[in-house]
Amino acid sequence: MKMEKVRSILYKAKEEKRWLLEPEAMEILKTYEISVPEHRFINDIKEAVKSAESIGYPVVLKIVSPAILHKSDADCVKLNLTNGEEVRNAYQEILTNAEKFDPKAEIRGIIIYPMVKAGLETIIGITEDAQFGPAAMFGLGGVFVEVLKDVAFRILPLTLDDALAMIKEIKGYQLLCGIRGEKTKDIISLAETIVKVSKLCTDFPEIKEIDLNPTYVYEQCVTVVDARIRVG
Amino acid sequence: MENLNTLFNAGSVAIVGASNNVGKKGYEILQNLIQGDYKGNIYPINPKEAEIQGLTAYRSLTSIGTRVDLIVIVIPSKFVSAVLEEAGQLSIHHAVIITGGFREIGCDDLDAAMLAVAEKYKINIVGPNCQGVNYTPNKMCVSWPLIRGKGPMAIIAQSGTVAAQFGLIADKDSIGVSGLVSLGNKSGLTEIEFLEFFGTDPNTKAIALNLEGIKEGAKFLKLVKDILQQKPVIILKPGRTVKGMIAAQSHTKSIAGSDKIFDAACRQIGLIRADSIDELYDYTKILGFLSKPAGNRVQIITSSGGSGILATDIFEENDVDMVEINPELKRILSEKLPSHCVLSNPLDLTGDTDAARYETCVEEAINFNNSDMFLLIFGDPIPGAHEVVSRLRTKTDKPIIVCYLGGGKIEDEETQKMHLVGIPTFPTPTRAAKALAILCK
Repeated sequence: MKMEKVRSILYKAKEEKRWLLEPEAMEILKTYEISVPEHRFINDIKEAVKSAESIGYPVVLKIVSPAILHKSDADCVKLNLTNGEEVRNAYQEILTNAEKFDPKAEIRGIIIYPMVKAGLETIIGITEDAQFGPAAMFGLGGVFVEVLKDVAFRILPLTLDDALAMIKEIKGYQLLCGIRGEKTKDIISLAETIVKVSKLCTDFPEIKEIDLNPTYVYEQCVTVVDARIRVG
Repeated sequence: MENLNTLFNAGSVAIVGASNNVGKKGYEILQNLIQGDYKGNIYPINPKEAEIQGLTAYRSLTSIGTRVDLIVIVIPSKFVSAVLEEAGQLSIHHAVIITGGFREIGCDDLDAAMLAVAEKYKINIVGPNCQGVNYTPNKMCVSWPLIRGKGPMAIIAQSGTVAAQFGLIADKDSIGVSGLVSLGNKSGLTEIEFLEFFGTDPNTKAIALNLEGIKEGAKFLKLVKDILQQKPVIILKPGRTVKGMIAAQSHTKSIAGSDKIFDAACRQIGLIRADSIDELYDYTKILGFLSKPAGNRVQIITSSGGSGILATDIFEENDVDMVEINPELKRILSEKLPSHCVLSNPLDLTGDTDAARYETCVEEAINFNNSDMFLLIFGDPIPGAHEVVSRLRTKTDKPIIVCYLGGGKIEDEETQKMHLVGIPTFPTPTRAAKALAILCK
């Protein structure tokens, strides 16, 4: 049954020739027991406040639109909202900014998350190689990936040992082991997450690209905070 | 797929486009086949000649009138399909197409026509646009230059020149090769089929690969992983930089994926990657000759202090343990060696040493389980080195690697004698130490 749900989400995105919407991506990750924050997908301002209250303040609001892939660039992400009024204002603002960014953008709604405490920022991804097919990618977030290109790859399918070897291979590995008095991060959960993402891709070869950026690593768990999935 | 055994062990070869004109490929290949002492039947095909290089020439494949195992095609690309058609009707299943002028220059239609005929008659095609094959156990060099030295290493190369140079170095080193394959455009046979052949070939102990792109990534990884259980495989894949990758794509229309991903794939299956022809040769040589040591502790014994340091740096950078010399061993050696020898690691016997001092050191050292392998650096003209190393090999299973340099004529003789008995010898400390680090991986 769960597989059917994943298949139908992927099929729909493929038919509509678009990336998965964020709630869809989150739904699929949850199906694969990958840890994601609690969230609500709504398209009504009253619902927004109700959802925020049930999740608990502070919350985050993000646009859900197939036309807006990079939500921050369109100023369609509002962080750290602490009450109903802020949620209502943010909701309006996001819709206005989306309209400004792309007047033709189809707006599906808004996704609401709790404000997640930042952990060590990492990136987990899947990319399609011309010679070897899908490959998993892991790196530390921010400058580590963008400037230092400190990333490790492995061809799918991969084992937990492969995932652990990938994590250890990056130059910034020391940061995960805890430096300057910080405690060791949950490397096992991180490796398990990489394996689960890889499993998802081998189960569904129509997935061509995954970008879980950022994926926060804490001392005792891992949470995927943003997810982009492309089918083809 | 017809078994490649018939290709490599062909009992008869026809050369379509054989020539009497020096400088033509059809001349050179026929000459190499004859001078290489090929024992099978040779049929030069050229309608304009009655005799070529002393052999009866034939007008066509059909006019030979007897069974042919392999044809080598050196005529222009537009005539290739017709020759294949004729070969197919004669039930010839193997063709080496030296000729270029197919998809590498945009003539995709000629490529398609050739492949359609090959498909129809189940003909295995090597190339086109390649430098042929050479299989020393069958003394069959349908390639150039002529390389005759038979040995344990095979090379499958996209670049004909890389294959030839690899073979020439091995020949000069008195090590030799089992097979050389130049893949060219890989329109028919690819690295997959040749890996399958050399992977099970009893004449081949180690396989060197030179690929600019890989056709079936997943199949390649699985196959190499399986072969690695039996024998070492080393790969040289250029195109590490963006411009290098673009050059690789235009050379043979290879699809080159991300180099970082290629590197990861190699690491994942334990495929060792070389960065130059020298490294490809050195790594294939050491892995073809020696078994893995039990651990990664090395003892250097040298006549040249400077060479010892060069090797030390490479070991340190590659996680090979430059272990401290055992105090008891040091005491014993101090009684047996002149007082000016430096009893450390590297152990410096200094420039006045003879071969016997090396023997003393290793003989004593193997009584202490302090090191897993030895690097002997002969940095001067030291005669008798090969005899010492040969004797030592019977006394220990621990790998002994030799670096010989600064020895002139004596070095050349000693190096050759070592290679003849399967002792891998390297011309610089850096190359020896890098190869040894690979052996430890």
